[in-house]
Amino acid sequence: MDIVTIHNLKKNFGKGFRLVKALDGIDLSIEKGKFTVIIGASGSGKTTLMNMIGGLYEPTEGTVIVDGINLAELTEEQLTVFRRRKVGFVFQDYNLVPELTIKENILFPLSLDDSRPDEVFFSEIVDLLGLNEKLDAYPYMLSGGGQQCTAIARALITKPAIILADEPTGSFDVKTSQNVAGLLKMTTETFHQTLIMITHNLELAQLADCVVRLQDGRIVE
Amino acid sequence: MKEMLRTLARRSFATSRVRNLIAVLAIALTAVLFTSVTTIGLGFMESLTLTMQIQKGSSSDGDFRNMTAEQFEALQQADFVDQAGLRMPVGFLSNTNRHNIEFDVVDQTQADLTFCSPSHGEMPEAANEIVTSDRALIDLGAELKIGAEVTIEFTAHGQEYSLPMVVSGWYEATNEQTSMMIAGTAFLDEYPAIFEYTYDKDAEIAGTYWSDFTATSTVGLQEKMQDFSRDVGGNPEDVAASNYLPAVINTMTNPTADPSLIFMAVVFIVLFIFCGYLLIYNVFDIAVMQEIRRYGLYRTIGMSKRQVKKLINRQALWLSCIGIPIGLIIGFFIGKAALPKVMTFLAVSYTNIVSEVSPSPLIFLGATVLSALTVFLSTRKPVRVAANISPIEAFRYVESNTGKRTSKKSSLGASIPRLAWSNLGRNGRRTFFIMVSLMLCIVLLNCIGTAANSMDIEKEVALMIRSDFAVVNADSTNGQKGFSLREQALSQQTVEDIAAQPGVIDGSLVYKNTLEDTNVTFDWGAEFIEIEQSPNSGLMEGMTANYLFYNLGDDGNPICNVYGMEETAIARMVIEDGETDAHTLYEKMQNGEGVLLGVQVDYQTMQIDKSSDFDFLNVGDVITVYKNGEPVMELPILAKAARNGDDAEIGITANGPLTVGGDGLFLYLPTSIYKELYDEPVAYKYAFNVEESQRESMTAFLNDYMKNVDTSINYLSADSARENAEGTRTMIKFVGGLVGIIFGIAGVLNLINMVITTILTRRHEFATMQSIGMTNRQLTKMMIFEGTYYAAGACLFGLVLATILNLTLVKSIVGSIWYFTFRFTLLPALIVSVVLLVVGAIVPVLALKFFNKGSIVEQLRIAE
Ligand SMILES: Nc1ncnc2c1ncn2[C@@H]1O[C@H](COP(=O)(O)OP(=O)(O)OP(=O)(O)O)[C@@H](O)[C@H]1O
Ligand SMILES: [Mg+2]
Repeated sequence: MDIVTIHNLKKNFGKGFRLVKALDGIDLSIEKGKFTVIIGASGSGKTTLMNMIGGLYEPTEGTVIVDGINLAELTEEQLTVFRRRKVGFVFQDYNLVPELTIKENILFPLSLDDSRPDEVFFSEIVDLLGLNEKLDAYPYMLSGGGQQCTAIARALITKPAIILADEPTGSFDVKTSQNVAGLLKMTTETFHQTLIMITHNLELAQLADCVVRLQDGRIVE
Repeated sequence: MKEMLRTLARRSFATSRVRNLIAVLAIALTAVLFTSVTTIGLGFMESLTLTMQIQKGSSSDGDFRNMTAEQFEALQQADFVDQAGLRMPVGFLSNTNRHNIEFDVVDQTQADLTFCSPSHGEMPEAANEIVTSDRALIDLGAELKIGAEVTIEFTAHGQEYSLPMVVSGWYEATNEQTSMMIAGTAFLDEYPAIFEYTYDKDAEIAGTYWSDFTATSTVGLQEKMQDFSRDVGGNPEDVAASNYLPAVINTMTNPTADPSLIFMAVVFIVLFIFCGYLLIYNVFDIAVMQEIRRYGLYRTIGMSKRQVKKLINRQALWLSCIGIPIGLIIGFFIGKAALPKVMTFLAVSYTNIVSEVSPSPLIFLGATVLSALTVFLSTRKPVRVAANISPIEAFRYVESNTGKRTSKKSSLGASIPRLAWSNLGRNGRRTFFIMVSLMLCIVLLNCIGTAANSMDIEKEVALMIRSDFAVVNADSTNGQKGFSLREQALSQQTVEDIAAQPGVIDGSLVYKNTLEDTNVTFDWGAEFIEIEQSPNSGLMEGMTANYLFYNLGDDGNPICNVYGMEETAIARMVIEDGETDAHTLYEKMQNGEGVLLGVQVDYQTMQIDKSSDFDFLNVGDVITVYKNGEPVMELPILAKAARNGDDAEIGITANGPLTVGGDGLFLYLPTSIYKELYDEPVAYKYAFNVEESQRESMTAFLNDYMKNVDTSINYLSADSARENAEGTRTMIKFVGGLVGIIFGIAGVLNLINMVITTILTRRHEFATMQSIGMTNRQLTKMMIFEGTYYAAGACLFGLVLATILNLTLVKSIVGSIWYFTFRFTLLPALIVSVVLLVVGAIVPVLALKFFNKGSIVEQLRIAE
């Protein structure tokens, strides 16, 4: 079953001579539970594609269907709820809330939804990511790897349909990169989740079930 | 899990200390504005009501008069009455000098309602006990102490009484001219003859029951009172009726709202909301811009717009909870301090002004609501911006910059002022707000300065008094009396004593006809369409087709207001029409060739009010003078003078001439002619100048003389009139200055906020510049330039706007008030500009010192 279906997706930025065709006709299907890696040169449209799947951009043309939902049919408020429930984001620069503890950061998306955390699930995630000891710490007290693990836990906690990770290991050295990517892959597999990850690191791409290569807004492979 | 949002709000609140401090300051300042203006406003109304109640002598809702015992009893039972006081008037004492004392029997309720319950001692109990004011006791020559003995004399039912009484208590006089003296009901039992009811037969007041009362409800009170009067067999309207029972509502307690006051209040409130908006908007706008990435993140991971709004609103609420109470307290005390100054504005119209304001919940409620409203209004836009931020855009967000920014890169090595210049206006709206608040400060202060500068004190003084000093009988300064009888004349001895003082120059006695001089009359062809007896003077009174009333003499011609004076006094008058040279005029008049006519002055121009109904005679018109029914003189009008208060009686009181001549002509003659005409000429005024060096000692002499030698006199001096007028100027300066300074503070706060934000958001930029060789001094210099540019811009626009407003709005407003003469000035604006320029330069230095600490490397890291 395909969790993401994209048909003839186009996205333009700007107008006139400033027009950028960030995505120029993408057709793509991603199977549920699979690990997909998106690679490509800088400016090729990777982030744009990912943001389209996350419901952050409106398409110029084409459709994006995630978990059976056609994003074009959602209102802004519904898109917010969609992001909250169906998508987990992991960014290169973690983007944790500095005022909240690690535990609070992880539970943050749930609290926005006014739902109770699944205690068992929570401790499972925390165990897997090795955050047990650090739950009451604040983000600035943790290493970059630790912070990214928190971000991964935050993405997982809502049991989303897909996890979107935009260069999650971009700011780490080789060893940490491997560890974090490994953890990401391992946890998503454990919870049977679909992971889409952007990376420049071809070694990491080897871990994927499927690799999508972008060039000038088109899939080339 | 709503708590998470609360936790988040609380923690981000706790971490943004600088923003909180500035926001609290801004909100507190706004609350100060509202509290002080509501304190002043409500205090003004409260004080005005109390002042007028004291002036009227009653804080009741209304009063009934001339009742019988049965009617009074019925009143006590009436359902619209809450509390009814008992007052049985006896009459005015006859053994007083300058003070009027009304002697009545009253009970406790009545005493409380009419401001005469004793502040020292007790209410009268025994038949020979009385309570009265300190002023009354002094006037009666009694000691100011409990147990003092005092003799009172009065007439009731045609019988003269002289009774020895004992002071059981006294209170501070609330009125310069009249006090109550009260006795208890024991007095009533002791002298039943005084209190025999005969009103229906001879209209004798003694023996009637009066009552000041408080109503259960003031709705439709006047009708209820009239109905009551009729129900008990009284007549509420006809003064002459034998059952006349007046039912009068107390308009002081139940005043109608003054629309101009309400308008002023609305203007101030709108102005203050605007001022608060300028401030608070900026604080929140900057705060949101600084955290834009964060809101983007929240939105990305699924926070809804509503939740973002809640997050910020909650913080705004907390900031208000801190800021508003601080502002309420400070504002109340500022308002309380300012109130007396505002009240002096009324000094012209009222004496004995009380200024009182109680910390009523209404003030705080009103101010809180208005401040909260301002916070709400000013946070709308920033909150919306934060909520509407498109998630991913926020990550890419950089302060929007104009094309100017390119010049910044190219000029890194170039001049620092240019670098600073290119940084201006990065955020248009914010820049605009800073400029506007600074500009308003300049413009407002300049307008106020111009107004204060344009106040023509000399003009105000000139309307009150023409000489340095004027000594009159005390009745002339008594708003209820005025000079109308020969017995009120100045004594020969007093005038001689004063004239013998060192430094007295240009002295002139001023003679004036009285009600007794009915044998001298004037005819200029006036025709009367109605002739009746005047209730004021007892003389016959003729009314012309123009509704001018003239008191008529024995032969049916008007007696007018006729003055006799020396040349020095005539020379002080403003002679406009005809023979304007005072010396020639005086000589001609002395030769019996004519008379000087006084016509009402126009306050605006200080010239004869040509539009007035009183200016109907021309130079050359002839007035025939009759004495004992025979024509004795033909006096052509030689000249016309613009007549001010001093030419009528003294100061602004003119009750005497009104009583004697009615609307009759004001005629001025030389002393010699006046004495020829009138059989018993009396002087009511001695007007004179005093050499500068002797004025103080003259004041001291007069005060002493008035107290110890001749207690029947009073005086007015140009200096005291000037002091009075200065009071108004002080008030304008104070209130206007306060408003201007508030805008100044708002502007400076905005500037501080702007500079701090600039420094915080550009720390990285600064660090970059410093890493490529910009010294700290150069950085500081750049920021000083930035700050000064803002101030300079505001000053420039402010000066231009101030000039324009001065020449248009201020000029026309000021021009419409008679005691102003427009004088252009930009001095206040210039002074404020200098201050703002200095502040604009200092603020960045301090801000850099506090907020740009640490090494360059640290700075570079913080910004990442
Ligand atoms: N919000 C936007 N507004 C304007 N142009 C944009 C926007 N987002 C992306 N672009 C442009 O679209 C193109 C694709 O950008 P995108 O961020 O998707 O590339 P990327 O493959 O993620 O690159 P990188 O590897 O550097 O992250 C680029 O030319 C970029 O400048
Ligand atoms: Mg990218």
